[in-house]
Amino acid sequence: MAADPIWWCSSMSLLDFNRLVPAHIQSFEVYVPSKPDTEFMRLYGVDHLYRLNNNENALGPPPEVFDILQAFPPRAVPVYPNGDCFDLRNVLAEKFNKDPEQFLVGNGSCEVIASVIKAFCQEGDNIITADKTFAVYEWVAQFSGFEAKLVPLKDHAFDLDAMILAMDDRTKILFVCNPNNPTGTYWNTTTMTDFLDRVDNRALVVIDEAYCEYVEAPDFPDGLALMERYPNVIVFRTFSKMYALASLRIGYLCGALDVVNMVRRTHVVYSVNTLAQRSAAAALSNDGSFIRDTRKMVGDAKALVCPLLEELGLDFLCNQGNYLMVHLPFSDTLMYRKLMTKGIMVRTMTGFRFPNWIRVSLVQMPVMEEFCVAFQQIIQEMRPQRG
Amino acid sequence: MIKLNQPVLMELQADMAWIPLVQAVVEQGAPVLGLDRSKTLRLTMAVEEIVSHLARTALGTKIGFSLKPYGWHVLAEFSFRADPSHLWAMNLAAKPNLSDPNDLDHLGLLLASRMVDGFTLHLEGEVVHLALRQDCSYPVVTKIAADPIRSKGKLTIVPAPESAFIQAACVRAVNLYPARKNHTAFSMPGKVADMVAQKDMDMALVLDETSALAGMICWQALSEKGIGFFGPYVFCREEQAAALLTEHLIQRVARTKAMGLFSELATPELTTKEFESLGHFSYVQSDGQASREEVWYRHLGEDMGASVWAHPAMVSFLSAAYGRLVLMRDIRETCGFGEALPRRSVFSTQLRPELGEATLMPMVTGADAKDCVARHVDTLCRENFSNIFFKLDLAFGWQAALGGVLMENGFKPRLLLPHGGRSDLVVFQYEPA
Ligand SMILES: Cc1ncc(COP(=O)(O)O)c(C=O)c1O
Repeated sequence: MAADPIWWCSSMSLLDFNRLVPAHIQSFEVYVPSKPDTEFMRLYGVDHLYRLNNNENALGPPPEVFDILQAFPPRAVPVYPNGDCFDLRNVLAEKFNKDPEQFLVGNGSCEVIASVIKAFCQEGDNIITADKTFAVYEWVAQFSGFEAKLVPLKDHAFDLDAMILAMDDRTKILFVCNPNNPTGTYWNTTTMTDFLDRVDNRALVVIDEAYCEYVEAPDFPDGLALMERYPNVIVFRTFSKMYALASLRIGYLCGALDVVNMVRRTHVVYSVNTLAQRSAAAALSNDGSFIRDTRKMVGDAKALVCPLLEELGLDFLCNQGNYLMVHLPFSDTLMYRKLMTKGIMVRTMTGFRFPNWIRVSLVQMPVMEEFCVAFQQIIQEMRPQRG
Repeated sequence: MIKLNQPVLMELQADMAWIPLVQAVVEQGAPVLGLDRSKTLRLTMAVEEIVSHLARTALGTKIGFSLKPYGWHVLAEFSFRADPSHLWAMNLAAKPNLSDPNDLDHLGLLLASRMVDGFTLHLEGEVVHLALRQDCSYPVVTKIAADPIRSKGKLTIVPAPESAFIQAACVRAVNLYPARKNHTAFSMPGKVADMVAQKDMDMALVLDETSALAGMICWQALSEKGIGFFGPYVFCREEQAAALLTEHLIQRVARTKAMGLFSELATPELTTKEFESLGHFSYVQSDGQASREEVWYRHLGEDMGASVWAHPAMVSFLSAAYGRLVLMRDIRETCGFGEALPRRSVFSTQLRPELGEATLMPMVTGADAKDCVARHVDTLCRENFSNIFFKLDLAFGWQAALGGVLMENGFKPRLLLPHGGRSDLVVFQYEPA
């Protein structure tokens, strides 16, 4: 209630810096990343912490990346990285049969989200995405002062018709997360092309394929192929998920030359470090056995966890990607705290508009087994209290 | 009423010579900001007393003064450098020693604190911030017995209801629920509408297909990280209304910086499966009957752990409460080791006389804390307040250190409200042996 109007106390010379801050920044909530593992382990009194909260690939990185990391010369550290990831873009171009200029590499794909929004939106413009999807599209738009129109998911998937309906003449970008984080649903080729036809080049369409390497379904659309027919398509990919380079922060976008040329103008050069560039190139050289092993790990984890969830009578979503979601009969944030006391960290989904759901990343077997035991124990101990 | 939405700001020195000027500012300014004659008069007198008090006790100190409109109330705010001990007379239980001329100097403050609807006092380094709150006047509705409606068709949420609906919802709540379950402001529907407009309260409604009011829930920020809710109030016979409202509430607050959601007043319709019980208060009702008020909690984010202060006497209560809630806290003990304190304490008191309820919070703890607590209890008991609470914010060592004094004075720690203040709050209840 009592605002704090102390600024007139000139003797205190307090700067009223709020005056300098735009309203859309003042009203924006800060994202608080979690504490370091050691701090959590001390607080929760556990000797280990399994992070099943960020959809990391615990199997990685691929052995080829180990070699790069181990051989990295300390003498390379004082030298700036290549400013626009020249070598890596060539590797990508060759692999996907594109022009190297069609790629823009960022400090994680999160960085390219910001670059695209900056390049195409101006005051009064809006972007469209889903209400329950990766939140960074919405956040970047909002703290940049643009409206994010959030279209509710339908049956846990992006709602094509509603997204088209939400478009207006100030809509600049539509973000489609395919497959969707956190629901794992995806648009197949028919749906995606239908959508692109109906957008009809009126706006850009970003297809975020952060988890595409996990998808084995034959009808899953390849955004890189679609952009040949639809020049308004921009594809995002990341090395943080399947390729397990999350700590190096590297991801990229690919689009038509004209489009990428525009985005490049707003993109910070030198934002991707040398180790990340080299590791990413090395990771791409192994997308046979490493991807196969990872998919098997995820498949095994699903085969273990899903029957347990069924047996416990819980509603869950296990679709594409290295994660699944569970609807709990009580608060997700309580489940989080209880699992933490057993050394397991999951993602609570209340803040992602899924109250009482958790999202669990799927990792190797001994850890998944430990998760199952802990999870089942907690569910059972909560049941008698709740009737 | 047309209310201007512009503050009046001034700076002056503590001197009797300025009193007429300050009086004139309030007298002329408060009506423009929405106060009626009698409220303006009382605020003018209170402000006059504060300035005259400062002129006597801190002559020449620079005073920042502002009169600001907040929709449903006006704040007269002062900031100045002075010994906070001198403000002891703002205590509800202040008892000046009439034979001591120094004490008589403070009588004006006592008067000032009684003239307004509320005040807050806090210290920022050496600067004292004192805010006097005067509420606008609103027509009061009285209860008329009514029945819940039989709703028609699908129920839908109205996330941002317009003023007329807000006021209608207050009237329904007053008619259908006992006063104990209602927010104090519900009996002044216009005030609630202004509070919502001012963003001092949020409200959502459910309507049926004919736009008939089927239910309401409302909530207010208690602190930067804590939100208290009231309800859900259900005006129809459909059970689903309560669940819809509760779910909507959680979705609405989940993306704010709030970490904790509490029931300030939970109705029996609350779907509790997604809440954790924090325990309960015992209440003595006006007819002398005892009742229990359970407090429900929903943690909204991933708890990062924290450190809190505690007097050693509170530690076992806290450890048990944190254990039950599986909240990780480093408990740091503090009890005061003879450090220099202001001579006298100042506590704020919120009163709900109709419920016999008083809630105290420390604003300044001084060397006289023990006596001050005892005096407050004494005064409140004599005035028939049978439900006396004391809240301590564990973010502040100086507040936590008061825990021992409270327990020696017949208070027992009753509830822990995670993120209820700057950090976690402990609510003590007066329960003499
Ligand atoms: C759908 C989606 N897109 C993008 C990202 C961001 O990845 P990066 O690490 O490349 O910034 C994530 C990471 O969680 C994601 O889930």
